[in-house]
Amino acid sequence: MDDSSTTTLGERVRRAQRGDEVALRELIVAYQRRVAGFAFAITGRSDSVEDLAQMVFIKMVRAIGRLNAPEQFESWLFRLARNTCIDHLRRQKLRRIFTPFAPEHENMPEADGAVDSEELDALRHALDQLRPKDRALLALVQEGRSHAEIAETFKTSVAAVKARLHRAREQLRQHYTSDEH
Amino acid sequence: MNTEDKAWKRLRDTAAAQITPGFADRVLRAARAEATPLFVSHFLMCAATAALCLAAVAVYQSRATGDEDASNLAGWREIAAQSNDLDQGL
Repeated sequence: MDDSSTTTLGERVRRAQRGDEVALRELIVAYQRRVAGFAFAITGRSDSVEDLAQMVFIKMVRAIGRLNAPEQFESWLFRLARNTCIDHLRRQKLRRIFTPFAPEHENMPEADGAVDSEELDALRHALDQLRPKDRALLALVQEGRSHAEIAETFKTSVAAVKARLHRAREQLRQHYTSDEH
Repeated sequence: MNTEDKAWKRLRDTAAAQITPGFADRVLRAARAEATPLFVSHFLMCAATAALCLAAVAVYQSRATGDEDASNLAGWREIAAQSNDLDQGL
């Protein structure tokens, strides 16, 4: 991201922090597609994407005033998104313990037209074999985020990000390749 | 673009297609709706706590005063009885 867009984003975030609804709406519109893609990559279900994106942005609206460094808005937003998606998966897992469904309901196919591509199905299946944290990592790379930015998002070191990313890529490739054949 | 990259692009496009028109407005409305009851519920919680504390102080105060009155009355009765005894002795 160049300096001018960082300045524009920083200014927009500062306006949003002052309660400017236009700035808040601009931020939501600017990031809604990316957050939706990120949520889909982590959860693997397109039918919960909009609800999850809504939860992420509601949290953003409520907490943006406490963001100390407006320049780090993107890292902060994707951290919110990652935590929201992982919490959602945990809650689902807990719910399954208390209200177990039959196996055929667990793998209920998505509605017609929701997912209509073999290559996407293969990727979703491969992602499903990975841990949610690794899915989030790969999704951030696909977002075009640098290792430093991912480290900032995950609150870890660049070296740790590189190591985990290497492992996650290997795993994804393994499952993706085996699905293709 | 290799197959994996195409699949990732498809994933992003599919996800983006799930966002229905008016999403930003719905988020802002929902955020406002959540914020208002939160403020009201915080206010009600504070008011209820304050009322409970006041009631507890009032009950304690009334009991303490009652005990003190009873003890004073008992003292006075004792003095009155002793004084009666003295009057009769004279």
